[in-house]
Amino acid sequence: MSTVPIVTARQLGLRVRPRLRRRELGLLVLVSVVLLAGRASLASTLAGHLALGDLRLLGVYLVALFGVHLAFVLAGRRMDQVLLPTVALLGGISLLVMERLPQDLVVQRYAGQTFGLAPLQLGWLLVALMLMGGLGIVVRSDNWLRLYKYTWAAAAIALLLAVFVFGRDVNGAQLDLCVGPVCGQPSELVKVILVVFLAGYLADNRELLAGASTDVGPFRLPPLPYLVPMGIMLGIALGVVSFQHDLGSALLYYLVFLFLLYIATARVSYVVLGLALFLAGSAVLYELYPVVRLRVDVWLNPWADPQGAGFQTLRALYALGSGGILGTGLGAGLPTVGSAPAIPVIESDFVFSAIAEELGLVGALAVLTCYVVIAERGLRIAATAQDDFRALLAAGLTLVVVVQAAIIVGGNIKLVPLTGITLPFVSYGGSSLVANALVVGLLLALSDRGVEPPPPPSARRRAFRWARAGQP
Amino acid sequence: MNVSGGIDAFAVSLWLLRIAFLAGLYLFLLAVSRTMLRDLRSASASTPGELGRLVVVASFEGGPPVGASFPLDAVTTIGRDVNNTISVDDPFASADHAVLTFRGSSWYLEDRGSTNGTYANGAAVVGVAPLGFGDELQVGQLRVRLDRPRPPRTG
Repeated sequence: MSTVPIVTARQLGLRVRPRLRRRELGLLVLVSVVLLAGRASLASTLAGHLALGDLRLLGVYLVALFGVHLAFVLAGRRMDQVLLPTVALLGGISLLVMERLPQDLVVQRYAGQTFGLAPLQLGWLLVALMLMGGLGIVVRSDNWLRLYKYTWAAAAIALLLAVFVFGRDVNGAQLDLCVGPVCGQPSELVKVILVVFLAGYLADNRELLAGASTDVGPFRLPPLPYLVPMGIMLGIALGVVSFQHDLGSALLYYLVFLFLLYIATARVSYVVLGLALFLAGSAVLYELYPVVRLRVDVWLNPWADPQGAGFQTLRALYALGSGGILGTGLGAGLPTVGSAPAIPVIESDFVFSAIAEELGLVGALAVLTCYVVIAERGLRIAATAQDDFRALLAAGLTLVVVVQAAIIVGGNIKLVPLTGITLPFVSYGGSSLVANALVVGLLLALSDRGVEPPPPPSARRRAFRWARAGQP
Repeated sequence: MNVSGGIDAFAVSLWLLRIAFLAGLYLFLLAVSRTMLRDLRSASASTPGELGRLVVVASFEGGPPVGASFPLDAVTTIGRDVNNTISVDDPFASADHAVLTFRGSSWYLEDRGSTNGTYANGAAVVGVAPLGFGDELQVGQLRVRLDRPRPPRTG
């Protein structure tokens, strides 16, 4: 017989107490069925007869989903049960769209093998799921975020500056930073760190910012000295990303900052002041940068230059129109004209247009509703958080995802000027998926309500007993 | 549809498949909204009577263990006297030591002329001091943190 000592989890100090997560399981089963229906619809359209097509990619994705669910069950924490299925649905739709788009849009070689768009996206989705699950299970304390907020801020600025020095150009914007074979966009990571810093700073100085004021003559201004650290951090971040022409990130950082400031202080004057500064800054950028001028001009009238600057926006509008209410069906849209994609960058910035064409208004609204669900869960986690830091962190993380989706969807449908940024969980791209997985992982960890609380009435009585008997 | 005008079985089943996918998306959203509704109902049904909690950070000999928590009423008195809402059997605490009151939307701490003083975040309380959630107060040797009310219990 073997003499290998059997080490149980209990001996290792791990208390494994599984907790069933029925709602999550039910929703995940529903997500799987929906995605399989979508896969069948796509394969049948492409094949011309009823078919299921190649189920390998979707199969791996679904197995990974249930793996994360199982890990959550075994970990036994009481986390939110809706976030994972909602994000899983968005990721699954992303996988379907990437399988449907021409595979040579993105091609990378790893270990002698060539991977197209869909396998690469699947790989990143798996990394994102692992990260999300890992954070949700492992993170039990927020001190490592709370205490080192200035260190995090410094790291974020260092990352941005590193892109500045070593970065690579993508579509006219200096975004990519490569470490060895892996390239990423640090501006995605910086948005998460920015929220951590802002939440930490605002939680510490909330009362000062909400109550005090600086008097300049007859005007009562917000307490300027206490705004300085945040102003410096935000100024550097905004300066660097707008210098790199990453306008989407600049807009996202600023909006999230304003929202968080309002949530922390409930002072309308900050919002008014912030919007005034925003308008002034936009006017300056409009004068300084030809890129900004171009984006605004295209937004106002894309038909002025339909084959040049307005091409992308016009194509996206045509896609919306041809989609109609029910859409053309997955696989039946217009992916390419000749060999070029119908809409430039359809796999990342304009993925919403692809969805709106093939799934129609109905499908596009369903995708948008998923973001509303994420917003509801996140703000709910914020509202039930135990202290100000956790509340602000949860609210900020939620806002990052939702505001980012609003910015790019608004840009795709010509509601606001287009600023290049990814649609969270749906666009192709590792940095975006990893950063948003960090966000959801932290939200899951924050939503954990610890061990089952004792019934309320006995708590008071115990307090008396300790006090009187002098022992617990 | 065929050119001949007859109904093509494949076209119909493909159309059904497409509709099934879209319907599935909304079925998911319906299931999610039912979960949300249930959460909201249970939250409003079990609205906690407590307005905040005190969590013990550091205790005295024979006092409540670190991590123990007390729910708070709108007026919570702390002291050595047994008639206090939270009575602490600590020789360094006065009989009527301090009072926590919830007014409007926030907590206030007041010292009731104690011998050793009441401290909020390490600073002695003079008069009435406003408290935020997460702040630490000290009464005698007992250090407690003011926390938000416990979230309602769901699922």
